[in-house]
Amino acid sequence: MWAFLATEVLFFGPLFFGYVHGRAFQPEAFASASHHMHVVLGTLNTAILLTSSFTMALGLRASQTDRSPRLWLWLTVLLGLAFLGIKGYEYTSEWSEAASAAGGEARFYFLYYATTGLHAVHLAIGIAIVSWLALRARREMPIEVTGLYWHFIDIVWVFLYPMFYLLERYG
Amino acid sequence: MSYFLTWLALMVLLALTTASSYIPMGIFNTVANMGISCAKALLIALFFMHLRGASALLRIAAVTGLLWLALLFGLSWTDLGTRPSAPAPIDARR
Amino acid sequence: MSYLTEGFTLRSWLTTRDHKRIAVLYMIAITAFFFVGGAAAALIRLELATPAGDLVSAETYNKLFTIHGVVMVWFFLIPSIPSVLGNFLVPIMIGARDMAFPRLNLASWYIYVLGGLFTLAALIAGGVDTGWTFYTPLSTQFAEGNVILVIVGVFIVGFSSILTGLNVIVTVHRLRAPGLTWFRLPLFIWAHYATALILLLATPVLAMTLTLVALERVFGIGIFDPALGGDPLLFQHLFWFYSHPAVYIMVLPAMGVASEIIPCFARRPVFGYRFMAYAILGIATIGFLVWGHHMFVSGQSMYAGMVFSMLSFLVAIPSAIKVFNWTATLYKGSIVFTAPMLYALGFVGLFMIGGLTGLYLASLALDVHLTDTYFVIAHFHYIMVGGSVMAYLGAIHFWWPKISGRLYPEMLARIAALTIFFGFNLTFFPQYLLGWLGMPRRYHEYPPEFQVLNLLSSAGAAVLAIGYLLPLCYLGWSIFYGKKAPPNPWGATGLEWQTASPPPQHNFEDPPRVTRAPYDYA
Ligand code: HEM
Ligand SMILES: [Cu+2]
Repeated sequence: MWAFLATEVLFFGPLFFGYVHGRAFQPEAFASASHHMHVVLGTLNTAILLTSSFTMALGLRASQTDRSPRLWLWLTVLLGLAFLGIKGYEYTSEWSEAASAAGGEARFYFLYYATTGLHAVHLAIGIAIVSWLALRARREMPIEVTGLYWHFIDIVWVFLYPMFYLLERYG
Repeated sequence: MSYFLTWLALMVLLALTTASSYIPMGIFNTVANMGISCAKALLIALFFMHLRGASALLRIAAVTGLLWLALLFGLSWTDLGTRPSAPAPIDARR
Repeated sequence: MSYLTEGFTLRSWLTTRDHKRIAVLYMIAITAFFFVGGAAAALIRLELATPAGDLVSAETYNKLFTIHGVVMVWFFLIPSIPSVLGNFLVPIMIGARDMAFPRLNLASWYIYVLGGLFTLAALIAGGVDTGWTFYTPLSTQFAEGNVILVIVGVFIVGFSSILTGLNVIVTVHRLRAPGLTWFRLPLFIWAHYATALILLLATPVLAMTLTLVALERVFGIGIFDPALGGDPLLFQHLFWFYSHPAVYIMVLPAMGVASEIIPCFARRPVFGYRFMAYAILGIATIGFLVWGHHMFVSGQSMYAGMVFSMLSFLVAIPSAIKVFNWTATLYKGSIVFTAPMLYALGFVGLFMIGGLTGLYLASLALDVHLTDTYFVIAHFHYIMVGGSVMAYLGAIHFWWPKISGRLYPEMLARIAALTIFFGFNLTFFPQYLLGWLGMPRRYHEYPPEFQVLNLLSSAGAAVLAIGYLLPLCYLGWSIFYGKKAPPNPWGATGLEWQTASPPPQHNFEDPPRVTRAPYDYA
């Protein structure tokens, strides 16, 4: 599983790389585009996702100590869905500005949609797997591996959040 | 219990990053944001993902991806960091 | 009851989870792609037989070399040894019943086929003309044709590579027979392990980079577009971050093959086994540090050029260790020149020439003159065709008794091996000279003074084509009419020779134990 996660890191690699390039060569455009992001929603979403990792970890612990992980798994799914819901709202409300952006700002939006979009796809897959686990909660199930995947998605977001939401907020 | 403490620490760190980005610190805003993100990632990896107490092989596997990403960034920067100027825009678009 | 007789229906093959049957499926698929790529090559050489651009138009010519490159690299050479022989042999060589994830293994074959269909669809829909490198902004703004279809094809086939890589790594870690410690592993396994690591660490970068190219092409915005402050060279960095390591995906398994065949027919243990294993890991790692040598004249900074030039010389060290150790293995051996041995020796020699000319190209100052000439073409064909394809054919012959349960006709096979060796050199050696004289690559016409050398090259290609068709015929014949093979026709060591030919469904009647080092030829 860890080998798979290493692959995933490098899958996100070019996106991060494009972002760093943009930050280095077009700092103003990136900062001003970043000001259009919804900080409150982004922060809320970060908190939600971090909490979902917490419930996921509790689910694993429950299954390892012979208790039913069901409740924790469903909570995790719920938090994941909440994240996607908020993200979806953000996407639609930012769309018109993104579509009319030009130059470096267009580049920022492109990266923003591509990177968080890829992240959202991963999360959706994660939600599907965790729901499947919760539906047929038996003990020999791969909760541990799924947990690793879920935490990985969380870690990716931990970096995406400051990258896209927190540029020069004081300006 | 340790899970709960981890979660609490993550929330505190989240508040710290968000708050710090409203204080003008120039380049150190980015440094602070990334430093805190690394700390959060480390917490998740060590406690939620149980890297603390994992075998050496797992730990190596866990850092390999990051190391390789660092290679990509580092060696590319021998170019991008030392270019005399940004590439000229082309205007002959289709 | 062997794995071949477990079931005879098409369905029993297409739903199999037996790694050996999946290997055979791969063999059939990549052979088909080899002949697609070969047909494109034949047309290219036919066009270049005369200086005038008379056979095909410039556009068609661009499409021909693009499809040739794409098919040969991603649909033939990268899966060739790992997916056919690796799939067949890795579990048997480590004494396992199957791969760690048999179903994933079958899935990766289907993914491969799906990717191949996309690429063929692009070919039928009119082709692509970007070259196999998809350089931006050509691929994002200017190129006509079906860039996106091909990108999707390559993207998909990348996942097949990644899954195979994962499978190999987990298999080698988890399923080794009792007593089979890391330093008792055959070098073939080491080579496949290292290859799998590269597959895992490099392929996702290519997948995402090509996705970005496709998105940029569709939406007209992206990160490579200079009009947005983007950087076309960003693409080249990302592409070569994958593609230089990818050349080692193609050549490391070939090195593994040579390390099995040479000791067997020299009747001596491999010289410097541990160094060989470390050299494999060294090549896999250093291979990630040198990609900038493809960009010397692209406009990257001088400083970067110097760094990458120096790092490129480092790769030569582990490669040289390997060539030296193969030679030392041969020294004072009682050499038998069977067909697999001829291929293996051909591999060593041609790889050496290709590698040495790689050093010419890695010298910043020389490369400025040689880049984008036929010298580069000759360089990588010496390594990829002279090296890897030779090793692939050698491996197919060496393990043919194991795979098919039949012996191939030895005399014919030797003739074919020599024909291929001769045809290869006649095709590509003149290209070194052409490049040195300054003939650029990727044009369908050229000044008349280059005609003699080009004609030689085209003639060589015809010989080479005959050489490649021969094994197809007699190996096919041997499946039905060849002599039945004993379990160990070569008197070789290695677990795969201790089971029947062809092996039973789960490889061994009783699980083997390993008590000795590999290459125990005394
Ligand atoms: C071991 C297997 C190798 C393979 C399969 C291989 C393959 C290739 C390929 C495909 C290209 C052409 C790229 C293009 O322009 O489309 C190339 C170019 C090059 N190779 Fe290799 N190579 C190998 C080894 C080496 C080594 C050992 C070196 C040097 C230490 C080397 C140095 C170069 C350089 C510098 C170029 C760039 C030439 C140019 O475009 O100016 N290669 N190689
Ligand atoms: Cu290279």
